[in-house]
Amino acid sequence: MRHTIAECERAGHEHGLSVGLAMALAGAETAQAPGRVAAWPTSGIPSGATVVREERGVSFVRTEAGPADPEIAARLAAVRLGLTRRLAERVVEHLSARKVGGEPTIGKQLVQGALADAHVATEAARRTLTVAGDCPEAVADVHHCLTTVDWELAKLLGASGFVSVDSSGTGAMFEVHLSRLTAHCWIGAA
Amino acid sequence: MNTVDELQGLSAELATSLRPHALAVDAGEVPEIPALDIIRDIATPPDFRTSDLPKCAQLYTETCLARTAANIELSRGDAGVLNICRAPSLAGLAVDALGSAEQQEAFYRVLADERPWTFFGMTEPSVGSDATAMQTRLDKDFRLHGGKRYVANAERGGIGVVFARTGPTPLSIRAVIVRNPSPGYSGRALTMFGLRGAALGEMTFDGIEIPRTCLLGAHLPASRRGLWGAARTFNIMRLQIGAQALGVALAIADYVHQLRPQWKPLMATRLEAARELLLDCAHDVDNNPDDRRAPSIGKLHATHLAVETARWAEAALTPGGLLEHPLLEKWCRDVHAFEFMDGTSNIQRLTIGTGHDDN
Ligand SMILES: Cc1cc2nc3c(=O)[nH]c(=O)nc-3n(C[C@H](O)[C@H](O)[C@H](O)COP(=O)(O)OP(=O)(O)OC[C@H]3O[C@@H](n4cnc5c(N)ncnc54)[C@H](O)[C@@H]3O)c2cc1C
Repeated sequence: MRHTIAECERAGHEHGLSVGLAMALAGAETAQAPGRVAAWPTSGIPSGATVVREERGVSFVRTEAGPADPEIAARLAAVRLGLTRRLAERVVEHLSARKVGGEPTIGKQLVQGALADAHVATEAARRTLTVAGDCPEAVADVHHCLTTVDWELAKLLGASGFVSVDSSGTGAMFEVHLSRLTAHCWIGAA
Repeated sequence: MNTVDELQGLSAELATSLRPHALAVDAGEVPEIPALDIIRDIATPPDFRTSDLPKCAQLYTETCLARTAANIELSRGDAGVLNICRAPSLAGLAVDALGSAEQQEAFYRVLADERPWTFFGMTEPSVGSDATAMQTRLDKDFRLHGGKRYVANAERGGIGVVFARTGPTPLSIRAVIVRNPSPGYSGRALTMFGLRGAALGEMTFDGIEIPRTCLLGAHLPASRRGLWGAARTFNIMRLQIGAQALGVALAIADYVHQLRPQWKPLMATRLEAARELLLDCAHDVDNNPDDRRAPSIGKLHATHLAVETARWAEAALTPGGLLEHPLLEKWCRDVHAFEFMDGTSNIQRLTIGTGHDDN
């Protein structure tokens, strides 16, 4: 499991959600989703599936609700962990190039504190997946934690994260929200 | 019932006409909604209103308390739809604060005759929180050069206020009234993640000629002609943004409690407490318009709580349920917008923290 978790995190970090999701769902079927909608890589949606929504390589398809599968949820959490790290890198790059009061924004203490908190939270989340990747509550907790951390990081991008200026400058919030919606389809009910 | 309660009731009634258009506005439509004309009139100073309104509506432009109470209920209908209202908004508040009687008359005359959207151009691609570093400039021949980004109604707006420097110091930052179309003005809409009714965009000024009569603040003392003169305006707007955040949070809570009446009822209490806090802060601003801490406290709490409410709602649904409840999914995006409007959380924290010694 530890190896798979690491692979999924790497896929999310290097290739993004859609590729990571394909890895997290390898060998699974849409009917394993715990609700009536499954998030699925668009490149591999089963023929005849009803697509509710499609965004950036992820499709949301109708399915019959099945029992929650903690292993899928854990692998997806690892993918999201990779995405969160990618977001943190984007924030550092963005704020290193911006200034406030004549000084780099990245040097402001409140910014450094937020980045430090995000870093610690992702390190702790990874260990949770290592020691309790088969425990549904623990995995759900990691997902909730990542949703929180993603928002704390996205805030640091200012309005640039909230809009897309053109096809090259997609606002981070679009990706953060897609990651959250995808997770919501694979975590069991509270 | 006092007049603020009456205005709150009127706002709740108007809000029911906004809700049915929420998803259409999110999809980019701009429907004509009669209730928005009433809201626009309510948000216009009494001397420039075009219709007769109930007495309680007078209060909206007179006190921050009334404006805050009304915005909570209007946004509980739908904040995205509220943002397509052709109201004077921040541009109007800036003209009220910095404009002479003639400038106010001219500005509101355009609003009455043409019903344009208004814009307030402060943020630039590389300068946001630190407005004193803005690069847009008004040269000695009264031509405007530069550009703004992330400005509501940048493309579709017909009139607005733009801040620009006339020299190197913060005091040299001045505000001018700009018309669209004007030779040298170009506006472009941006794709927004949420609160799409706000229609954010960017504007470029390629030497637009500004009539001298459109420079605001010339009749005021040097220290109050520009950014600092608009400071009270930001205090009021900050609470209006907090009120809109809380309104969306209340809409989310209403929706969830319809689906799951027993779902963690503590949230409803927290939201009502947040309303109390916002109204108290608004009351403080009415008593002391220069108090910067109160609006920051109200806005920081309301924006944070709104995002938390969206997570609370998500947890109440069956797995994947956000995809089955598009309105809830939309509000879960909208709540994030308020973080950036009129000062981010960090900027509010700095205001609250550094003001600590004053109290
Ligand atoms: C929905 C929406 C509507 C808007 N409407 C308008 C409008 O009508 N007109 C207009 O002019 N602008 C508008 N804006 C832009 C808004 O005012 C800016 O986004 C805001 O001022 C922040 O600026 P920025 O995005 O450049 O972020 P930056 O200033 O670059 O900040 C980036 C990050 O650094 C943090 N930061 C900055 N300074 C400090 C510091 N000193 N210490 C610690 N942390 C710091 C911020 O909190 C943020 O997290 C709107 C934005 C949105 C999203």
